[in-house]
Amino acid sequence: MTEPVAAAGAAAGMPEDRSYRPETYKDPALVAELKTRIAELAGEIGRPVKLMHICGTHEHEIGRFALRDLLPESVTVLAGPGCPVCVCDNEYINMAIQLSLRPDTILCSFGDMLAVPGSIPLEGERRGDVRMSLLDARARGGDVRAVYSVFECRRIAEANPDKQVVFFSVGFETTVVAVAAMLKRGAPDNLTVIEANYYTPPATSLLPELDGFDIEGFMLPGHAVTITGLRVYEHLAERGIACASGGFEPVDVMASVVALLEQIRDGAPTVANPYNRLVKYDGNQKAKREVEEVFELAPIRWRGIAEIPASGYKLREAYARHSAARRFAGQLDEVALRGAEHPKGCRCAEVTLGQIRPDECGVFGKLCTPDSPYGPCMVSHEGTCRAWYVYGMHKEKLHVEAA
Amino acid sequence: MSRQPEVVPDDHAHDPAGGPSAPERLVKRYDSVRLSHGSGGKLTLELIEELFVSVFSNEPLRELTDAAIVDNRGGRIAFATDSHTVKPAFFPGGDIGRLAVAGTINDLAVMGAVPAYMTAAFLLEEGYDMAELERVVRSMKATADEAGVAIVAGDTKVLERGHGDGVFINTTGIGFLPEGTRLGVGFVRPGDKVLVNGTLGDHGIAVMSRREGLDLAVELESDVAPLNGLIEAVRQVAPNVRFMRDVTRGGLAAVANEVVLRQPFGLRVFDVAVPIHEVVEQYSEMLGIDPLLAANEGKVMMIVAPEEAEAALGAMKAHPLGREAAIIGDIVRKPEGVALVETAYGTRRVLEMPIEEQLPRIC
Repeated sequence: MTEPVAAAGAAAGMPEDRSYRPETYKDPALVAELKTRIAELAGEIGRPVKLMHICGTHEHEIGRFALRDLLPESVTVLAGPGCPVCVCDNEYINMAIQLSLRPDTILCSFGDMLAVPGSIPLEGERRGDVRMSLLDARARGGDVRAVYSVFECRRIAEANPDKQVVFFSVGFETTVVAVAAMLKRGAPDNLTVIEANYYTPPATSLLPELDGFDIEGFMLPGHAVTITGLRVYEHLAERGIACASGGFEPVDVMASVVALLEQIRDGAPTVANPYNRLVKYDGNQKAKREVEEVFELAPIRWRGIAEIPASGYKLREAYARHSAARRFAGQLDEVALRGAEHPKGCRCAEVTLGQIRPDECGVFGKLCTPDSPYGPCMVSHEGTCRAWYVYGMHKEKLHVEAA
Repeated sequence: MSRQPEVVPDDHAHDPAGGPSAPERLVKRYDSVRLSHGSGGKLTLELIEELFVSVFSNEPLRELTDAAIVDNRGGRIAFATDSHTVKPAFFPGGDIGRLAVAGTINDLAVMGAVPAYMTAAFLLEEGYDMAELERVVRSMKATADEAGVAIVAGDTKVLERGHGDGVFINTTGIGFLPEGTRLGVGFVRPGDKVLVNGTLGDHGIAVMSRREGLDLAVELESDVAPLNGLIEAVRQVAPNVRFMRDVTRGGLAAVANEVVLRQPFGLRVFDVAVPIHEVVEQYSEMLGIDPLLAANEGKVMMIVAPEEAEAALGAMKAHPLGREAAIIGDIVRKPEGVALVETAYGTRRVLEMPIEEQLPRIC
């Protein structure tokens, strides 16, 4: 397959330079033009079309700018498995909790991950099937610290040579780059990482296998494909599913929808690149090289979904001394590591796969709210349930009556 | 309006003969805070006299009585307290001292009161740098002077090393409500305009950038400031201000949601009308933070009768703390009980009620 021309981006007047130009990427006139273009394409297609994005930030931005209100009724954009916090398997959360409760250990994590319950029951809680999170571990004396980057974690390790410092490395293709870069440049021996980095393309090839799968186009995650490039999604196009990179400004999201609808109208699925101001077809070679030096792909469990082959980044032998799983092997309560995937009544798995809307889950907005989340999709800002709740996407369209 | 408080000039802080001032002598003697500075004995007295009394410098405080006796300026009394901890204690545009004084003054001022007197209680950690404490105290004095408020009583406790975080400050203030002050959510009507006195999120982002050691292309300063002067200026030209609240933690989103809670009206914010500093916008986008939810320490949201909105805006803009003021929204009949944002694209979303401190997202 040759590199497709960024037709939609060019057609939409997207600038080709890489400078930060919010006046263009947020331009209401350009968004209005794209809205019209989408309506025309939807008319030409003449039947309902379902598209899916697979990035929590997309759902967040779609909610923040209420972009679904700009789409015709026949075009649906669903949220797929795009939240690293939501797909992070229980085993890693339980491992992080157990490690954080050891007196000799400092557990560092991104803020998003702190409130996600694993499967260890929270003692004394009467609200139902409520499980322990890292915040609960902290309240019980665990040294749990929110960090902004893995390099901050390295500083903590250097400053505490008598402690074991564990970085809870959760994320997709983007965050793993920083971890690889840090380890490659040398980390102190007392620093280990919990390997919970997920690689998305194999998960997307699983989706078309699901019963009732009717997605005609994927909006590809702009940040992730900046690293991996677009070639890794060619398998979807070959199966007849349209693909287009998607950035995160309103113009980017709308341009990606245009690119997908054009392919669907023409019956010519490919991997288009309207987000070409950042994404190169082959990705970021240097980042890919560094990741490959430090990590290799291995099977990993996606919470509530399945174990998917070659979809997890595991440390190569040369870096295995920085693996928390290896360092603490035999020292953890193996039984407590495993457990039911999601709490009773939680339908995060179906939400993550785009099979139901968040408000179709029985606990959404009732037992499960952002200040007291029950399932992982309500915890993280990347989570679909959270985005729906905070931006009121489950409510009827907001009709304003001025004075 | 009522009289200004009688603030005595800072006459003890400097030696007229040009020698070291009382606080300078104290800092020279004790480079850090000791447990005995909180024990009530000789060292406590030295700290009080040479630092607090000498810098805050006013008659009621100088008496060193168990309680400060102050004048009643008439009318009903507004009474507020606030405790402060901030990391780092010094940040671009301010410090914990300025924050502690301005915070309580603003709580009084948004109720329509004229702030007059304040107490300050310090919880110091053993080993806290005495010179830094002096800077904090001088900053409190400067801020109180700016607002025309006297710090008339105080307290000091010293916590064992490891049991505090440098310095915690509680301030409690009283102000006097002019006759006929009518302010409150109950006065708000559909059609009223919503104003803020400048760019939102400056404090939150400035503190976060310093805390995380992130380099900003342009230095961003916290907006921390006492707002009573600005508020008084606005109310002189817009007597029908319906409601005011200082916009602090939780940002505009928190205040907007508090206003509409269980009320028969909604609050609509026009995204494009909200003043946001360019650096705040870029930084927020980079970290996935919403400036509408970021903290402020020198901003007030006012809800004003529509016919007075322009006058109120003019008065804000004429004040040094309101140069970038804007009318950012209005009160609507429907939806009831909802704060919403109208985007630049003609779409609408619910304005999120902040849940916890904002943390940068993973990706």
